Amino acid sequence: MDPDAVAKAFVDHYYSTFDANRAGLGNLYQEGSMLTFEGQKIQGSQSIVAKLASLPFQQCKHNITTVDCQPSGAGGVLVFVSGTLQLAGEQHALKFSQMFHLMPTPQGSFYVLNDIFRLNYA
Amino acid sequence: MEEQIDLVGKAFTDHYYHLFDNDRPALSSLYRPSSMLTFEGQKILGVEDITAKLTSLPFDQCQHVISTTDSQPSTFAGGIVVFVSGSLQLPGEEHHLRFSQMFHLVPIVEGNFFVQNDIFRLNYG
Repeated sequence: MDPDAVAKAFVDHYYSTFDANRAGLGNLYQEGSMLTFEGQKIQGSQSIVAKLASLPFQQCKHNITTVDCQPSGAGGVLVFVSGTLQLAGEQHALKFSQMFHLMPTPQGSFYVLNDIFRLNYA
Repeated sequence: MEEQIDLVGKAFTDHYYHLFDNDRPALSSLYRPSSMLTFEGQKILGVEDITAKLTSLPFDQCQHVISTTDSQPSTFAGGIVVFVSGSLQLPGEEHHLRFSQMFHLVPIVEGNFFVQNDIFRLNYG
């Protein structure tokens, strides 16, 4: 398992799914998954997808600036992302940082165990 | 109300940045031979090389001011992931540098952790 390859594939898939069809993120999380979104804690795939689908914008586009990754032990991969989030109709893009802790599934792919998202204010 | 995991994450980051700002060589106590640091994209492995990197950064003094700390339990054996954002003030520099950093902490004995994974990025723009 090459953490860089896993991280790159995951980041590409995650943000393109987020930008095209947020409900499709459901199969990236499981019951034990945790999301902290701007300080709000949410647990479990259903609640996480409900939160992301209810964010107050219809369309968005993530532009990724940096992706760093490291193996976390026991086959896990930590991914640290920074970038910008462009909302339709907004003049200025929002800057954000996000970390994911990916864990392997028996089927040979990865799911998100830990997800922490923060906007980076000036 | 703060949960236990938030208290642990906050206590760790308070300690980490206090050491960083006051006694950078002492950061070696928080890393192990298996520890990994990615500092602005540069990958460094092991407590010795990590300490060498941090103590050789091109400033003598600095002050971290933490804006946000988010913590979650990571998996087995009581690990914790901590996500920090804040600013870094260097003496003589008019503008603070904004940064984000994540730690994956692994317990040694009850209540004590070391840094298994550390990723640091400045937030430009």
